[in-house]
Amino acid sequence: MQELDQWKEHISHLLNVANDYIREIPSDQLYAAAAIAVFTTLILLLLRFFKRAKSNTIVLTGLSGSGKTVIFYQLKDGSTHQGTVTSMEPNEDTFILHSETLKKGKIKPVHIVDVPGHSRLRPKLDEYLPQAAGTVFVVDALDFLPNCRPASEYLYDLLTKGSVVRKKIPLLILCNKTDKVTAHTKEFICRQLEKEIDKLRASRSAVSDADVTNEFTLGVPGEPFSFKQCSNTVTTADASGLTGEISQLEEFIRQHVKP
Amino acid sequence: MLEQLLIFTRGGLILWSCKELGNALKGSPIDTLIRSCLLEERSGAASYNYDAPGASYSLKWIFHNDLGLVFVAVYQRILHLLYVDDLLAAVKREFSQVYDPTRTVYRDFDEVFKQLKIEAEARAEELKKSYSNPVVVNGNRKNQVTWKGDGSEGKRNGTGGGGGGGLKNDGDGKNGVKSESDRDGDRFVVANGNNNYGSNLKSNGGNGNGNVSVNGKDNDSLNNGAFDVNRLQKKVRNKGGNGKKTDTGVTKAEPKKLVKKNRVWDDKPKETKLDFTDHVDVDRDADVDRKVDYLAKEQGESMMDKDEVFSSDSEDEEEEEGDDAGKNSNKVDAKKKGWFSSMFQSIAGKANLEKSDLEPALKALKDRLMTKNVAEEIAEKLCESVAASLEGKKLASFTRISSTVHTAMEEALVRILTPRRSIDILRDVHAAKEQRKPYVVVFVGVNGVGKSTNLAKVAYWLQQHNVNVMMAACDTFRSGAVEQLRTHARRLQIPIFEKGYEKDPAVVAKEAIQEASRNGSDVVLVDTAGRMQDNEPLMRALSKLIYLNNPDLVLFVGEALVGNDAVDQLSKFNQKLADLATSPTPRLIDGILLTKFDTIDDKVGAALSMVYISGAPVMFVGCGQSYTDLKKLNVKSIVKTLLK
Repeated sequence: MQELDQWKEHISHLLNVANDYIREIPSDQLYAAAAIAVFTTLILLLLRFFKRAKSNTIVLTGLSGSGKTVIFYQLKDGSTHQGTVTSMEPNEDTFILHSETLKKGKIKPVHIVDVPGHSRLRPKLDEYLPQAAGTVFVVDALDFLPNCRPASEYLYDLLTKGSVVRKKIPLLILCNKTDKVTAHTKEFICRQLEKEIDKLRASRSAVSDADVTNEFTLGVPGEPFSFKQCSNTVTTADASGLTGEISQLEEFIRQHVKP
Repeated sequence: MLEQLLIFTRGGLILWSCKELGNALKGSPIDTLIRSCLLEERSGAASYNYDAPGASYSLKWIFHNDLGLVFVAVYQRILHLLYVDDLLAAVKREFSQVYDPTRTVYRDFDEVFKQLKIEAEARAEELKKSYSNPVVVNGNRKNQVTWKGDGSEGKRNGTGGGGGGGLKNDGDGKNGVKSESDRDGDRFVVANGNNNYGSNLKSNGGNGNGNVSVNGKDNDSLNNGAFDVNRLQKKVRNKGGNGKKTDTGVTKAEPKKLVKKNRVWDDKPKETKLDFTDHVDVDRDADVDRKVDYLAKEQGESMMDKDEVFSSDSEDEEEEEGDDAGKNSNKVDAKKKGWFSSMFQSIAGKANLEKSDLEPALKALKDRLMTKNVAEEIAEKLCESVAASLEGKKLASFTRISSTVHTAMEEALVRILTPRRSIDILRDVHAAKEQRKPYVVVFVGVNGVGKSTNLAKVAYWLQQHNVNVMMAACDTFRSGAVEQLRTHARRLQIPIFEKGYEKDPAVVAKEAIQEASRNGSDVVLVDTAGRMQDNEPLMRALSKLIYLNNPDLVLFVGEALVGNDAVDQLSKFNQKLADLATSPTPRLIDGILLTKFDTIDDKVGAALSMVYISGAPVMFVGCGQSYTDLKKLNVKSIVKTLLK
């Protein structure tokens, strides 16, 4: 008890000293100092707020050969140039969508990243996901059935990534190559993917404890999986990279990166 | 003929392809090349063979790392095109001058390419002729010398070519005149003389790199224009004048040259070999120090030397600093350039990384990988691949070469160890279940690596996830093997299929699978006898077993203790399975089970060796004696340990 009193005395003494000290300083200076402190904190807060709101990154993912690079260049230049080969490195650029170049006024550019689909390069995805405003999962609608399982595995990994779940990054399943007659419809593809993911859910959750890649589970246990159960919004759209029919994709991009 | 030549960015956009060649390629050789070669860290290799129905191509490639460009040439494999490397290098040089990241169309490059191709073909023609026409040998040999060189050795080359050219001017002049009066076909001999003249000129100027472009112009003017005797004579005269100039420059070299010349004339079939000695001779005359350097580069150090230099180097390092490669490389730098300039360099960022800059860091990295039990061959290949991906790149400011190399290697390792195919066995099991047939896993491997033990662990793991497992004792060779498996089966309450010893394992496996589909087992785990990879009869038996039963998964069981032998084991297993298979599409190893992982501390290199050599992922890691000691490979931690 004595100690406590001693402490109290000590503190009050210190306060007195501080008070005296403050009184010595002219009040103008004090106000100025307080104003500066308030101002800087405000600016810092604002900066942070803007930074979060400013995210304009759209990530293109999907299996190798689904047409991501073609779509990337369609968005950028409106042409496929002379064709593409398998990417070895991500393509990324910040630009105004090609279809909007004719519009007047100031348009906010979009930062688009095309991450290679080769399974060995998938770790690169983690670099871009945390800052993404939206992800586009490109599916080859023409050659879908043979690639259904790898595609759904990739999609499962994507949907259970921590950054996607936590930030609720919206996802667009883009069925590419729909200009071909034999291409599957997006409804069919969506259903098949849901079915596959439902099965994956069973086997993945059984994977031994040492594996820590998937820290979140998908959907509601006991119910068949559907994309509606995801915490983030999942939509589907058609596109054709070769013919340049990508209006639905552009809509999605502008929905999440306001012009 | 050349089928196709492509220039594309690492991002995958084709910038330029040869319209003229424009033959439709069968299959997609380029995509296959990228997927199965360049992305598998095999880009250090010289060429890649692609087989498609109705076509077999060879592909060669070259990187421009600073601009992020890839140049790929495709040609029919049966034609051994000698000029492809040469052409690619020329295309790379020319294209990098016109390249602009914002531009995507390069129509005007067609012309340049046409010219480059003609030149390259002419040079190849020359090489071929040198075997048939003894008169040309002389000029040709020189030509070869000039053209072999790459940028880094340009200087050395220049002096070599210059010396030779200066000496033999007379002979060449005669050659030229003769051919001019003789035939049209010998036109290239003249061009050749000019080539040398060009290189002489340039090398005297001290710029070995530039000689090619000068060549190009000369050659071109000669090829395009009709035969202008006047001009030619003037050229010959010019050459004479120039030759004198060179003579004064390289007088020292003269006496030896004469001897060398005689040698060439005497035995011309061994020409290339002599060529080699020529190099050395010239070098000795020109610069003794450089010779050693050059030899090491050209042929690789002898193993003995390499080891010695290496160990002493690393000892020094430990004594003085006990630090990593970075210090080592910096030390070398510092010795050469002094403290201040190296400091300045690290702040300003170095212009372009050259192979010689990377070498010390890579060597240290290779050493480190090898101390982690990575097979020597694989460490070497990896370093080559990393070097290929860094050469020509700009070093960012405030970074050291060693750290750049380190990050590049880390990326490469992650890429290798990340599985290419899905390793979700349970998903596959469920898929097989839907088709109402058992999922068959065959365990293969060398003796004593722990096949049966880990088979039991896998069985236990599957059982934990409500899968009906059955074991098949197909080790009908080693006494006690069946009993061992039976014990495991009893402890785990798993049915076992056994037929005793001295039976054909392929037949036993077949019956086991039939039995499994009858009693509704989902998975059949087939235990086989351990065998050395060199044992032909046993490997044949294994091949038969796999062919007959067509398992869903061939799991190679390898122990993590293995070092250099890992390469031999896996490559031979794969090779034998491919060679001895009776079907046209042989089954290879699909996955790897790494055992005894708890006994190796940080020497995890075997995992890397095995994955690199087979391309198959590590599906399980066995790390103890009990049934629960089965893990998945953690790629990140392995990479961290490897580079620690």
